[in-house]
Amino acid sequence: MQVYEVFRREREGGPMQHAGNLLAPDAELARHYAREFYGRRQESVRLWIVPRSAILDLDDPDLLQPPFDRSFKKPAGYSTEIKAKLAAARARAGEGEVR
Amino acid sequence: MSESERVQQFNRHVASGGKVEATDWMPEEYRQAVCRFVEMHANSELMGVLPEREWILRAPTLKRKLALSAKVQDEVGHAQLLYRVAEDLGKPRQAMLADLLAGRTKFHNVFHYPTHSWADVGIIAWLVDAAAIVAQQALRESSYAPYGRTMKKICWEESVHILHGRDVVLTMMNGTARQRALVQDALERWWGPLMQMHGPRTDPAKDRDLAWRIKNKDNETLRQEFLTVYVPRIREIGLEPPDPELGQDDTGRWHYTEPDWKELYAVVTGHGPKSAERLELRRLHYAETQWVRDTVMAAPLAA
Amino acid sequence: MTTGEPAATAPRAPEALGGSGGTRSAPPVNQFDPETTQALKHLLLATADDEFVIGYWDSEWTGIAPVLEEDVAFASLAQDEIGHAQALYQLLANLEGRGDPDTIAYGRPPEGYRHARLLDHPRTDWAFSVARRFLYDTADAARLDALAGSSYEPLAGVVAKMRREERYHLLHMHAWVERLATGGEEPRARLAAALERLWPDALCVLDGIDGDGVLAEAGVLAEPMAAIRRRWLAGLAPELARLGLPAPPAAPTGACRGPGRSDDFRWLWEQLTMVRRSDPEAVW
Repeated sequence: MQVYEVFRREREGGPMQHAGNLLAPDAELARHYAREFYGRRQESVRLWIVPRSAILDLDDPDLLQPPFDRSFKKPAGYSTEIKAKLAAARARAGEGEVR
Repeated sequence: MSESERVQQFNRHVASGGKVEATDWMPEEYRQAVCRFVEMHANSELMGVLPEREWILRAPTLKRKLALSAKVQDEVGHAQLLYRVAEDLGKPRQAMLADLLAGRTKFHNVFHYPTHSWADVGIIAWLVDAAAIVAQQALRESSYAPYGRTMKKICWEESVHILHGRDVVLTMMNGTARQRALVQDALERWWGPLMQMHGPRTDPAKDRDLAWRIKNKDNETLRQEFLTVYVPRIREIGLEPPDPELGQDDTGRWHYTEPDWKELYAVVTGHGPKSAERLELRRLHYAETQWVRDTVMAAPLAA
Repeated sequence: MTTGEPAATAPRAPEALGGSGGTRSAPPVNQFDPETTQALKHLLLATADDEFVIGYWDSEWTGIAPVLEEDVAFASLAQDEIGHAQALYQLLANLEGRGDPDTIAYGRPPEGYRHARLLDHPRTDWAFSVARRFLYDTADAARLDALAGSSYEPLAGVVAKMRREERYHLLHMHAWVERLATGGEEPRARLAAALERLWPDALCVLDGIDGDGVLAEAGVLAEPMAAIRRRWLAGLAPELARLGLPAPPAAPTGACRGPGRSDDFRWLWEQLTMVRRSDPEAVW
């Protein structure tokens, strides 16, 4: 028996999300058991069944959570400053500058 | 970092609500505690199949037949999901089943008792599952994340069982006098085991499973939650739990006759009314089907 | 596992049901003469009883199957059969203009059931249950093929849904027969012994329908049972030969669908009617 990880799509247009895993002796029965464990009450419209050994795992924090600032890559890195600058710009415009 | 620093860091991590994945480093004691906890839960799902299984052939309508079959199927499915969690912590399923069949590991007290009538099917699905779900909902936030995720799926499925059980009970309470008597009789027989189910009051400060947040609520808290929701639902349909002391004080806290903890201890150590018979039944079927596991399930399909 | 078949639930014009179109719950008007109607009732009862009884035997594996994975799978198959029986009993009740699925399913003595002799056996061991289900599901598929274009439209509608669910049954059972046949000495010997024992009774799944010739003439069935049976066996022959499994006998012998019943079925009947018999006034 080997471990298969199962991903499921709950409704059309939705993402494939990790559902859980199962044990099966081979790929064919893995498909049948995936249907049983993650689809028997019509909760899925598609399943992906992947041997756990085929999954590439990456959780190295030096690669995924590097220590220096990355706020310039994210909305939050701009929104505060934009708010302040927008207020200043509006105030300036309101003081009747000639267009 | 020294081993003890590493352990302290781990303890701080889980105490502050941090999660642990199967592939993360964890102290050996934590690994064993989670494995033991999940294994007993899995054993209980598997053994819990047997009392209800007897009624799959006897369900009185096609709809009940389908519902009960699906419910017991779910319990088998839960056993599979939970054994998978424990397997990923390092204990093979074969070893867990061997320990269960040899009486070396335990399963919940309620599954050591006999069933007498169709009303038992209703009371088990409604109240035993309700008492269980109170505990299981708290486990969704377990520090051991694979267990918490599995409990989310299990709680979703269990909620259907409770509705099925309540529907069976309500139908019988609206039926003949004989049916109502059967339900009251079932409630009276199951009440003792239900009150024992969450276990005696313990000192939360000394409970390591709580400190590690493997579970998040102590026994008495769970029992109080169960009583708060279910005693009114039991009484409103004309049933009465068999305990003259049962009632609530001004603060909403339930008081009740002290459950028989000696009985609980005797039952979970394998001396319940059906313990030996149910384990023997499992051993028998396990032995009869060993050839399937040794052949077809042991290897991929021959080319 | 996507389906290539058209949706089975496509709405049908009211006039196709033979009704006035005004009352949704009106029973479908039966377009057949009394002889054909009688044969149709028998076909519905026999087919429903087949599904009902195999659903019961296989639900016995719940909780004790060889592995948890298969336990859950087999329970699904058994539930499907009970659901199919329910739909077919409903068609019969509609045709009779009285009764309901539960009364038909549980309200008869053991001699009143019309399931095939194949289903008089208990579940026995895993190879036996797999062999029985394999023979039953493949025969049932041939029967459903012959009913898919039925001139009795309510039946054609139910059959379209049943065929979609039976696809999984066939996939799963072919997978298991293959694995037992090639899985080593013991699985193979157990499977072969079960097939030898079951073959004569399996032929009865496609036999014992009184008036099947009349039904074929009326277009309820595509062809008489003997022809459906030949089609089924011809379809199975290459697989049986490839796996070296026992071949069927020439033709069914003896009574196929009762009224005589095995002690095993009588035991099952005692179980499945136990609660209902305990309080005939009760609603469950």
